[in-house]
Formats: sequence, C-alpha cells, structure tokens
Amino acid sequence: MPSSEKERRAQRRSRDPSPSRGHRGGRWDWSSAETRGRLEELYFREQDYIRAGSEDSRQFWAFFERLQLFQTLKAEGEPALRAPPARADPSAAPGLAGLPQEYDPRYRINLSVLSGEVEGLARGRSRGPRRGPGVPAERLSQFRAALLHYLDFAQKQSFAKLAKLQRERAALPIAQYRDRLLRAVAQNQVVVVAGDTGCGKSTQVPQYLLAAGYSHVACTQPRRIACISLAKRVGFESLHRYGAEVGYQIRFESTRSPATKIVFLTEGLLLRHVQREPALPGYQVLIADEVHERHLHSDFLLGVLRRLLPARPDLKLVLMSATINIRLFAGYFGGAPVVQVPGRLFPITVVYQPIPQEEAAASGKPERLDPRPYLRVLQAIDHKYPPEERGDLLVFLSGVAEIGAVLEAAQAYATHTQRWVVLPLHSTLSIAEQDKVFDMPPPGVRKCIVSTNIAETSVTIDGVRFVLDSGKVKELSYDPQAKLQRLQEFWISRASAEQRKGRAGRTGPGVCYRLYAESDYDAFAPYPVPEIQRVALDALVLQMKSMGLGDPRTFPFLEPPPQSSLETAVRYLREQGALDGAESLTPIGSLLAQLPVDVVIGKMLVLGALFGLAGPVLTVAAALSVQSPFLRPTRTNPDCATARRPLESPHGDPLTLLNTFNEWVQVKSERAGGSRKWCRRRGLEEHRLYEAANLRRQFQELLRDHGLLGAVQGPRDSSARQSRHRERRELHHLRRRHEETEGRKRKVLKLQGGETGSSSDEGAGAGRAGPPGVDIQDVKFKLRHNVDELQAAAGTALSSHQLALLKLVLCRGLYPQLAAPDQYNSCRKDSDQIFHTKNKQGIVLHPTCIFAGSPELLQTTEEKAEPGRSRGSQEGLGSRHQLLAFVSLLETNKPYLVNCLRAPALPALLLFSRALDTSADCTRLVADSWLELCVLDSEAALRLLSTALQLRAAWEGLLNRQLEGRRGEPGRGPDLREVATLRQRLLEFLQHKVQYSLRRLTALEKQNLYVGPQTVAAAPGLPGLFQGAEMTPDEEKGGYRVTEFLTYNCLTSDTDLYSDCLRSFWTCPHCALYMPFTPLERMNHESSCRPQPQEAPPEEAAESPAKATALQRPYHCDACERDFMFTSTEILRHRKQHQ
Amino acid sequence: MDSHKEAQPKGDFECQLCGLTAPYSYYGQKPPNTHSVVLLEESYVMKDPFVPDKDKFLILGSQCSLCNRRVCVGTECSLFYSKRFCLPCVNENLQEFPLEIRQDLDKRKSHSKSHPSKKADART
Repeated sequence: MPSSEKERRAQRRSRDPSPSRGHRGGRWDWSSAETRGRLEELYFREQDYIRAGSEDSRQFWAFFERLQLFQTLKAEGEPALRAPPARADPSAAPGLAGLPQEYDPRYRINLSVLSGEVEGLARGRSRGPRRGPGVPAERLSQFRAALLHYLDFAQKQSFAKLAKLQRERAALPIAQYRDRLLRAVAQNQVVVVAGDTGCGKSTQVPQYLLAAGYSHVACTQPRRIACISLAKRVGFESLHRYGAEVGYQIRFESTRSPATKIVFLTEGLLLRHVQREPALPGYQVLIADEVHERHLHSDFLLGVLRRLLPARPDLKLVLMSATINIRLFAGYFGGAPVVQVPGRLFPITVVYQPIPQEEAAASGKPERLDPRPYLRVLQAIDHKYPPEERGDLLVFLSGVAEIGAVLEAAQAYATHTQRWVVLPLHSTLSIAEQDKVFDMPPPGVRKCIVSTNIAETSVTIDGVRFVLDSGKVKELSYDPQAKLQRLQEFWISRASAEQRKGRAGRTGPGVCYRLYAESDYDAFAPYPVPEIQRVALDALVLQMKSMGLGDPRTFPFLEPPPQSSLETAVRYLREQGALDGAESLTPIGSLLAQLPVDVVIGKMLVLGALFGLAGPVLTVAAALSVQSPFLRPTRTNPDCATARRPLESPHGDPLTLLNTFNEWVQVKSERAGGSRKWCRRRGLEEHRLYEAANLRRQFQELLRDHGLLGAVQGPRDSSARQSRHRERRELHHLRRRHEETEGRKRKVLKLQGGETGSSSDEGAGAGRAGPPGVDIQDVKFKLRHNVDELQAAAGTALSSHQLALLKLVLCRGLYPQLAAPDQYNSCRKDSDQIFHTKNKQGIVLHPTCIFAGSPELLQTTEEKAEPGRSRGSQEGLGSRHQLLAFVSLLETNKPYLVNCLRAPALPALLLFSRALDTSADCTRLVADSWLELCVLDSEAALRLLSTALQLRAAWEGLLNRQLEGRRGEPGRGPDLREVATLRQRLLEFLQHKVQYSLRRLTALEKQNLYVGPQTVAAAPGLPGLFQGAEMTPDEEKGGYRVTEFLTYNCLTSDTDLYSDCLRSFWTCPHCALYMPFTPLERMNHESSCRPQPQEAPPEEAAESPAKATALQRPYHCDACERDFMFTSTEILRHRKQHQ
Repeated sequence: MDSHKEAQPKGDFECQLCGLTAPYSYYGQKPPNTHSVVLLEESYVMKDPFVPDKDKFLILGSQCSLCNRRVCVGTECSLFYSKRFCLPCVNENLQEFPLEIRQDLDKRKSHSKSHPSKKADART
C-alpha cells in the first residue's frame, strides 16, 4: 500500500478529536514530537529493549496509532458488552483457582515491563528542571499498555514466521524422502539424489545430514552466488541453530571458521583443496549439487572424486542432479543408488508457435532478428488474459543483439499499450540494470524480461507466468586448431527447453510459448553439450598435471573430451613453457597451476615480478581476468566517450585498463563514495573494478607465498597503526549497520512514458540499499584492501622505460598470441583494418579496442615524415613495424581480436619467437614460419641477432633462478645487479632503429621455406658459433641449428648461394680485430669476443667495449643521439646506416 | 562472529502437541540482555532469528500450568491467561475461562475449519 496514503490517514486521525486524547484541556497530543520524545526518554533508553530512534521505535509508534484507531472503533462499535464473570467451579483443578475473574486483554500477555524507576522519572523527581511537567499517570499507563501489546504482537509475528517456516520445510517434496535418503547415505558411499526444480534438495539435504549427526560437510555449487544464498538460507531455516557452523567460501569471500560444519563452496574451490590435500582429510561428506549442468569443473571434480573414494572409504559422496541423464552419474560410480524426488511445479501449457516459413525467409538480413513473432505473443497475452491477473513474461533469446532487436520493438508496443514494462537481462549489463528485473511492475502492468539463457539457471525471477522460448542459444565453442573461441548460435537441447518452460510454473500454473514446432523439439539433442567438450582445456590439463593425475589422455572422465582438445592443450602448455618435453611440469608450470587464471596471464605475473614491475603487472593481470569494466556504449554517448578518453592508452587495451584501475583507486582514496559517480560518467561497471581489486590482492598473495614478491610493510609508527585500526573499526561498524538493514526493498517500476529510450539510466544503482550516504561496496573495499598501499602503487606514474619494459613483459606473457596487420591496411577505412595470426586470417579489431578507434597508432608513420628516404624497390621498409599481442580471439559474426597491445615487431620477434630461421647473411629472418623480416643492413641484422641471443639467454637464466630461488633460500634468487643489467640492455635493444620490412609469408612460400637436409659434412670449419652451443646441421630445415630456437642459413633463396663463403672485411667493435669474415664467422667471433654481460657495468654494457683500443675514439652521432667508441671505419659505417 | 558465544543453544525445544522443534538458548523468566522486560512464566526462549538485532528474543513455549506438558505458544496449542494452558486443558475446563476467551476459541475453530489447508500441515 502506498505509504503516503497511510500517512495521510494518520494525520487525519491526529487532528480528529478522539476519545483517547485527554479530555481535560485537550492539550494532550500523542502524535506530537514533544510527547513522543518525552515518553521515549522514559521508556526507550539506551539500555531498554526498544531504543529511541531505532527502527523498532518507529514501528512501535506505527503500531500505537493502529491500536488507538482500533480501540476507538471498538468503543464506538459495541457498547461495552460486559460478560458475566466466569463462575469459579469448586470441582475445577486447583491450578485454575487464581484465574482473574474479570477479563482484561492484558492478562493474555505473558510479559511485562518493569516500571519502578520509570514511575519516579515521570514525576520529574530525579531529573533536572529542563524536563518540564511529567506525564500524567493515566497517559503513562495507556502508553505502557500499548507497549505491552506491541511486544506481544512482535512475539506473535515472529512466532508465526517460525511456524510457517517449519510448515513449509515439511511440505517440500524432499521431506518425504528424508529417511530414505539418510538410510541410503548410511549404507552406501555414493548416493545420487535426482529431483527437479522446487523439490528442495539444495536447501534440505545438507540440513538432514547435519541433523543426522554428520559434520564436515561440503556442498559444491557451480555458481558463486548460489553458495552465498544457500548458506544464508540454510542458516536461516535452521534458525541459526548451527550458528557459525553454516558457512560459504567463494573466491574472495569466506565465512568459514573452525566451527563450520557445513560449507557451500564452488566446484573450482574444492578442486583447489584437492590440489593442496589430495585425500581431502577435512571432509566427511561431499555433496556435489547441480551435476547435471555439466560444467567443466563439475565433470572434472567427479573424476577426481571417483579416484579418491577407494582411498577414503569413510568419505560419503552425494550427487544431486535434476532428473536428467541420471543413469550416467549412477553408472559412473558403479551403480550408485538413486533417490528420485518429484519436483514441485505447477502445470504449464505448451503452445508451439513456429515462425512461418515465408516470414522467416522474407525477413531479409539474416543477422537481424525479426521481432514480429515475439510481439504477437505479447499481443496474445493482452487479448487473452485480463490485466488484473498478474503474471510476467520471460523471453529467452540467444544473445545481446537479439535482445536489442526485440527490446526495441516491444518497447514501442509497450508505449502504445501502457500494459508492459520491458527489461533486458544479460551478463554484460550493469548490476543495477540486472537488478531491475526483480522490481515490481505497477498494477495492471506486466514485466516483459528479455533475457539470454542467464535466466535459465543462474537468475530466478519470481512471478513469471509466461515463457517465450526462441529455442536458440549462443554458446562459446572452441576451435582447438586455431585456438579460437567461437560464439555461435545453436538450437537448445530438450533439457534446456524443459528448464526454460519450468520457469513459468514456479508460482502458479503457466504458459510456455515456443517459437518452433513440436517436431523441432523432438529433433533437439537430449542434453546440452557438456562444457568439457567445447572449451579450451589448458587450465584443466595444467591442474591435472599438478595434481599428479598422470596422462590426461587416459584419465577416466565422466565423458571424455575430444582427443584433439587435449592434444592442443598439451602442446600449448609445452609451447608456453609450463610443461617440458616429457610433459611434466616445469617450475613455472607448477607455479602457474596454482594461479586461478589463464596461463598467459599467470606468465605475465611471474615475468613482471622479476623486473620490479609487480605493481602494474598485478593490476593488468587482474583487470584482464575479469569481465571488461567498460560497458558497451548505450548508443552513441558522446559525453561518456569524452570522459573515457583520458584513460585510453595509445599502447593498447591492457594499459587502458591499468590507467582506469589506477585512476579509480585515486578517486576512491581522495573522495570516499565519489567513485560510483565517477564510474557512471565513464560508462564503467564499478563492480568489475572491485572484482579486479580482489583478484589483484589474491595474485599478490600468491606471488608472496611463492617468494616472488617481498613481504608487505605495515605502517611503521604506532600512531599510523592506531589510526588505521580506528578507521577499520568504524568501517566494521558501518558494515554491520548495513547488514542489519539489508534486504533490498523491491521498487515499483515506472511505466515507460512517451520517450522510447531504454529503461531510464539516470540514478540506476544509486542509493539502492543501506543507510543513506554510505556506499557499502566502498566500505567493503576499504575493509578488504589497504587503500594506502593500493594508492601508492596506483599513484606513481610509469617512466617511459618502465612502460617499455612493461609492454615487453606483457608481450612475452601473451606470446605467441600475435597478429600482424594486413599490408594494405593503410588504404583501408578506419573500421576495416584487417589482421592475421599464424593460423587465422582476416581478423578485425573488437569495437572496444583502442586501435579500432585510432588505427593511426598502428601506422608506421616515419615514411611520411621523411619522404625522400623511400628507396622505391623495397616497399614497406621502416623501423617501426608493429604487431598486436592479444589476449583472446573471439568469433561471433566475425573473428575479433580482444584486448590488444601493440609491440615493436622486430625486437618482439627476435626475443620471443620459438623458431627463428635465417638466411646466410642473416638479413632475411623468418619468425615461427609465418612472418618474414628483411633487414636492409646485414651488419645491423647480425648485431641485433647476436644481442637477442644473449638477452634471451640472460633473461631465461634469471627467470629460472628466480623460480628455483623462490622457496625462500637466501642467495638463490636472481642477482639484482644482473637484473639491472638485463633491464638496461633490453631497453637499449628496443631502441635500435633498423630499416626492415615485415611480411606474412604466403602459403606457397611456407611450403618452400627451407632448403632441407643437406649433405654438407659438418659445420663450415668453425668451432661452435656461440660459446658452448654446438652447431649441428638441422635435419629437417637444413642449415645449422644454433640454439633451440635459432636455425642458421636454412632458408631457401636464390641470391645467397655463395654467401656463406663470401668474406668481407670487418672490424670487431670489441677487440678491433680487422679481417675478412663470413657472416657466420663474424657472429661467432663477436659472441666469443664479447665480455660476459654480468661483468660489464650495467649502464654501458651495450655500447662501450671493455677493451678499448688505441684506434677507437669517442664519437657522438647526431642522428641517433648516442655516444660510441668507434674506430674511423666504424664511424663511416655507422654514418652510412643513417643515410 | 561474536554473537554466537552468548547464545549457545542449550537444547531443542519440542512442542508436545504439534511437534514444532527449535533450539532454545534460555529457560526462565529473565532472558539475558532484555533489560526492563520480564516474562510472566518460565519460558523456553531463543534469539529472535527474524530480526538482525541480537538482543531481541523469541518465546517458543513453556509448560502447561495444569498438565505440565511442554507446549509452544502457537494459538493452536496453547493460550496464556495469567498462566499458560495447553488447549486440551482449556477445553476440559472451558467453563472456568471468561466469555471473551471462549468466544475467541470458537472463532478460531470455525476459522480454521474454513481454511483447513493453511494450518493443517505440521500442526496436527
């Protein structure tokens, strides 16, 4: 009921002269603030049951008004019918003797409020003169009577809730099966409970087990949100009988304590427990809920548990599933007994309404969904059901674009009829927008929720009576060949169709409209494709390896994944260095296995820690692991785009995320609570930044645990510690207050007026719950994180050197996920830029990518700057070619690169390629058999190549020492001086300016890339090309294998037949030896002549040779602005380079 | 976190008429932290699970002053009229109670007959 109505009535009442007000003088006014204040002072003191100003006291006064009204009406209605007093029967039980003979309602109240002190106060004796006149005794007793009635009423109310709760629990279908279930669990190690929606298995089974005396129960859930809500619900239903014994544990939150007897946790988390303690000694009973959903983790968990059971005969396992494919689960566990429980759904009428052929064909563009069939259902509902009969409509569509199409049409219809409120629901909406689906429509209006399959299981909306099912779903499928995720539209399975239908029958009989024919339904697959058969398995294989589960190819999965997926995963992990040649975990692999993130992101973390870039790398890794905080621009919103611009980094999306996170932390530390507005203005979903902050902290702790990061330094002096302590106490208090007033009030939705714009954006998410002015997320954030530390990390801007190194680290992490721009991109429109990866061609930039909006950032602009320099014959020559390192490849209607970072092509390829193949003079290089680099100057090419070899060796060595030394053995970690030297030399390496061209090889060229095995007897009369490295003829490619990744002179070419024996005069820059060398000899000499890198002073390692000779003199080059020690010949050569 | 210390359940209260079961943390007339409120009968009390304030209590039931059966405070099991009486005892001694109470019981009886489904489940 509208509260204003209530208020008005209350006002009217207080104005009316009524018998309950004082007759004498008519001065007494119950509703005056002064009167109430005085009474509250007497009765609602700090130490009293009800406190002044509390919610309780407000409720009391509301009750008081109702009571007065009731008493007035009663006094007017029935002229005091005095009942004859009951006759005391001498034969009655002696216990009845003392019953009051004259009835008074207050005898029916079993509590009392002590009054001695209060009476005294009322007469104003013990108070100061400011108190004014006391309360007349008559009023006081009136008030006291009301207070007693209120307390009694509150008792009755709560008791009624208790009774109702127990009635409802007893009425759940599963209640009938309680004993059968407990018997089955007692007699068997594994039991399957199969029951459909509404049977109560998720909430009741854990309680039955607890009540039967089991403890240490874990119940796994596929979704985090379910863990929290189930723990709350079970705690509530059991009346907190178990107190802290019911808890939950999800990625960043845990209410677990040593007293916890049952914990709800995600499948992934239980798997992490197994990883730490393979026998799960902490648990007595495991309940795996929703196993029929067949999530990757769920399937894997079952496999792990099946292996574990023989080793833990005392462990009980309860599988809970919908009544889908029960035989599969029971069979997997050797014919486990099944307790089958009927669901509780109301009858649902199914209406098949396939889209007519001609309409489907005529709709023109196949990409655009035709909303007409959907509108027809809205119309049909309007025709058939009177608006007074409540019941909302839930529409299932395959994706966001489809939702947009139907939303637009339905909103136009809603504006016209004023009978619908149309709301979208999908996971890329802001949380506030998602929450709207739980709001109430005004009377006579229905909600129409247009949703993805998120509403099939994850989100449950009450009050849905109609379901409209498109029969389609978009699912990520994985192409192991291209390592590409593809978002494709499929028909749903019969199981999904039934699940969707069931959503109409939760609260009453319902109707399900299906936009397909019954024959289509019959042709659907019975169940959805299990996740394990359609996703990348890298993380799974890594985890299996770290759990010591042996060869993943022979693991007894519930249903095995495709062999090719497993092979790809193993190969990928080998490529990433997580597995060695024998497929066992490398040191970095075992670390990566403990990071709950993508392998590439884990690699970034480890690499970043080495160079003291842990701060920014942690942030980037965390931000890349959560959903993008950037909301899709709701139409073109120029304000939002402008506000975002300062956050955008010209280097790429990961750095834009870094800027955004840092800026957000700054805003948070400067003005508490201001961050919400700040985010809204920039179209950012703050929730995801909170998630990133949580994840960042988790990464930080993991790196610390592994000794890759120094320990935290708390505030040094005690006053800072104290103030931090005080602040925390305050925050705790705020959070508790919030929790007490929690429970989001449902709002009433507004009918969309004349404007057809989507649901009103302004104010969404603001002031949803909690005390006004307090942003509870902010409070939680500050409780969880050391904001000062975060701010310090976020506040320091990166120097250009740090930035360059950071990019290098990110790029090495992402390698080999590289894309090269198409050679004709400069002639294309901005939006049509095309890129190619090794295995996939014609990829475009995701619209959210910075380079999609500013492709000029990827152009090699220098040719334009110096027009005179183009040499005509060699097109595409430049020194600034760029590649894109990307986080993922996603295919929807087109393949997209997601989260791109640009990287200088030549240094990146020289430093990271798994395979580098060269021509004889090393001017032609092929990286990973798909990108060809032609360097103009063979001198420069050789120098770069040999530097790259040394840098790679040094980097690898340091990284290995870091990983070995991470077990806290002092002195085993990397030498800081060596790290500094490497940093310096990497930076110098990045600055080398060399003219080269970059080109993707054609398929034909790839086929004829190598000269193939040769009959040359041995290496050309030379000792090993590099110290220690033996040069052996490569048996596949031809040429010579120099290192694991470098193969010399194996490229076919028609020009350099003799080049490997052509000598030219050359002066060694280190020892000034001057004599004719073949390229090979030159490289060999240079590397053996070069001083050990760690012996060189860090600053000048690259330029100034240790042994300067008399021939050399200082030379400053104006073109590249650097200083060298050169002989005259070298100066000439150097100058030539710049011409 | 700190609240569970003070409200350690002492045992389960079970109504001998309807079977309602709930854990109680106090038995007596002066539940802890209730300040000026006292109970007029020895009662089984728990912390009110439906309000966040941890000082609020909920009376579950007490002993019938005639037959000593443990009964809950639900209106279908007992009533309070200066003392606790279970409904079977009230019905046996109906004439001893004032008219208001008898009328009340009559009203309730006819009411529960017209809506049998609502109350029947756990309470018979």
